[in-house]
Amino acid sequence: MSSSAISVRQLKKFYGSKAAVDGVDLDVPRGSFFGFLGPNGAGKSTTIRMLTGLIPADSGSIEILGYHLPQDELEIKRRIGLVPDESLLFDRLTGAEFLEFVGRMYGLDRATAISRAGKLLDLFEVQAGRKLIAEYSKGMRKRVAMAASLIHHPELFLMDEPFEGVDAVGARLMKDILLDQVARGATIFLTSHVLEVVERLCDRAAIIHNGRIVICGTLAELRSTGESLEDAFVRVVGAERQGELLDWL
Amino acid sequence: MIAAILRAQWLSTRLGAGRGAWFGIVTAVLWYGIWTAVAVGAAFFLRAADGPAAAAAVPVGLLAVFFYWQVVPVFSASMGAGLDLRKLMVYPLPHGDLFVIELLLRLSNGAEMLMVLSGGAVGLFLNRTYGGLLALPRIVLPLVLFAFLNVLLASGLRSLLERLLTRRRVREMAALFLALLWGLPRLFMRQSFLSKSFSESSPLQQVGFPWTEAAQTALSGFWMPMLWLALWSLGALAFARRQFERTLRYDAVAMQATPVTLRTSAWSAWVDRFYRVPGLFLPDPLAAVTEKELRSLVRTPRFRLVFIMGFTFGLMVWFPSMIGHRGLQSSPSDYFLPTVCVYALTLLGQVTYWNCLGFDRGAAALYFVAPQPIRQTLVGKNVAALIFVYLEVLILTVITAFLRVLPGWTAIVETLAVVGICSLYMMALGNLSSVNYPRALVAERATVGARGAARFQGLIFLFYPVTLLPVFLAYLARYAFNSQIAFVLVLGLATMIGGVLYGIAMESAVSTAGRRREAILAELSRT
Repeated sequence: MSSSAISVRQLKKFYGSKAAVDGVDLDVPRGSFFGFLGPNGAGKSTTIRMLTGLIPADSGSIEILGYHLPQDELEIKRRIGLVPDESLLFDRLTGAEFLEFVGRMYGLDRATAISRAGKLLDLFEVQAGRKLIAEYSKGMRKRVAMAASLIHHPELFLMDEPFEGVDAVGARLMKDILLDQVARGATIFLTSHVLEVVERLCDRAAIIHNGRIVICGTLAELRSTGESLEDAFVRVVGAERQGELLDWL
Repeated sequence: MIAAILRAQWLSTRLGAGRGAWFGIVTAVLWYGIWTAVAVGAAFFLRAADGPAAAAAVPVGLLAVFFYWQVVPVFSASMGAGLDLRKLMVYPLPHGDLFVIELLLRLSNGAEMLMVLSGGAVGLFLNRTYGGLLALPRIVLPLVLFAFLNVLLASGLRSLLERLLTRRRVREMAALFLALLWGLPRLFMRQSFLSKSFSESSPLQQVGFPWTEAAQTALSGFWMPMLWLALWSLGALAFARRQFERTLRYDAVAMQATPVTLRTSAWSAWVDRFYRVPGLFLPDPLAAVTEKELRSLVRTPRFRLVFIMGFTFGLMVWFPSMIGHRGLQSSPSDYFLPTVCVYALTLLGQVTYWNCLGFDRGAAALYFVAPQPIRQTLVGKNVAALIFVYLEVLILTVITAFLRVLPGWTAIVETLAVVGICSLYMMALGNLSSVNYPRALVAERATVGARGAARFQGLIFLFYPVTLLPVFLAYLARYAFNSQIAFVLVLGLATMIGGVLYGIAMESAVSTAGRRREAILAELSRT
């Protein structure tokens, strides 16, 4: 068995002549809570979409949980839970119906899917009755999306901004559940703009900028010079400003 | 400020580059070309018309203008098209300015009618009896006032309808009523309604409707009709302003909210059993997709409307052709049930099989990240569509039996077979179009103006005759050989060919979906 949950080599993706992902090398150890950071448009979401097989890579190799993409696509899909940046929720279903549907799509029998759906909704404190997902708040949608990613008990979670739009109570609940999953041996790969979240949850992180990994290691390694993660982030992406302001502002 | 908003509106509706833009330009040229021809026709007709002819034609023409002007913006409201002025409320704009913008938008919706009115005005101006330089104010003033009244009324009606269409259940009933409006002229023509209503002795001609008042003023110059027309316009102004204000303050989200009830009612338990029927016969994930599709579509306002239209609008369109033919040896009633059922099948196509991922929008990505082949999704969606198609057939069979235009059991069997075969061909091509021309559909809107939609509509016009051809040939064989056996044989052959075509199309669709998944998801995620 491979020791890496995710192993990526020279991954590239071009949109026209622009490289969204430009030769990414990445190793995510099994059982780690891995933060994937970068400024807007750096290539985080594109990388996650390639890892899930939603978009094909132009070149490079992807190995997930010892399986290769795209050859072992179905085996990989069975083992991962996905919380994408854009909603994968069907608006005209209720939360319970959606979770049951996802469970059955991942091969659970109906009774198990219904049972797990109910328990997950309780766990995530989503009690919306017959309300359709279309009427859910953004925070509730994120909770349901995360519950759906858990229903088939995956080994690896790929999460794109999972806490965006979630209130403090919801975020705490979701973080506790994710930490519990890592404690049980799962691997989590998440992107976030909120560096504080990464600092609190992750044991390892990588920063991507202009499609390239500019730094990767444990959080202690990232903060080796004694600076905060935010300072390290701003430094490595070269975004330090010289304080110029508009004179009329 | 108003200029800035109108510019933003124009920029957001301008055509992009590429073939879609050319298609749009050609369509616009054709559309406005037709209306130019109508305007020129009106001008020539009124220039040559004598007194009685003009007196009869002008009010009817103005009524037609009135009908078009009111119905078209109302339809655009039912489709959710147009600028949402509520979004502009965050800016420091007086409501009066917003109202002016609303009126300008309604004016642009009726540009065709301005052309027709202009044509009519030119015709009257050149008319020997009614025209001349001195008659110019008498002709132009009432027509300008009539146009103003139409703009105001269209604005008020649209605002009112926009609110109605956000209310549960009322929405479908209102939209259905509007859809049935399109069928009425056909029924009226059949009953010679218009010719009776607009004869000079008709009571409708005596009532002071805006079109009769405008016509009388333009033709005779009496001040009393002009006064009535002004009063109509003032009423329309008050109506439009009030409806506009109410719409600005309207909270659609609150009106649509579902009350949170954790208890399951007896009705919803029964409905849930219906959704679970596919699970009794089909394995997962096929059953899961079919069930999901049944639930989602039933809760999608746009689908519900089309479904209801399938067994109402079709009857409205085809039933007039039945009048007076019952009891004949080979009458239209022999083909009535298959015809209305196939018509319902074609109506359902736009919200089901032609673009089967449309309502899922970006969430369709789930089908690609789940460990199931996309084939299961397409088949599941086809099964769900077929269930709704046969529900339509069931409802139409009951209605035709009630109307006593159902020839017998053989007609039902024939209909089941014909609809099944047509479905096979349509869904085969539908699966291909769903992955080659996916478009995001908004559940509350009737149609969507996404890129590629125009080309897709063009393809559908090509597809329908192709998909109906096998069944048409079967009927042709029955007619030519006067033999039921020939009919059944051709239908059997069509079924076999359809099955093979469905298999090949499915393979192609699955392959295309795998290859184009990125483009499909990008298109479906468009807002």
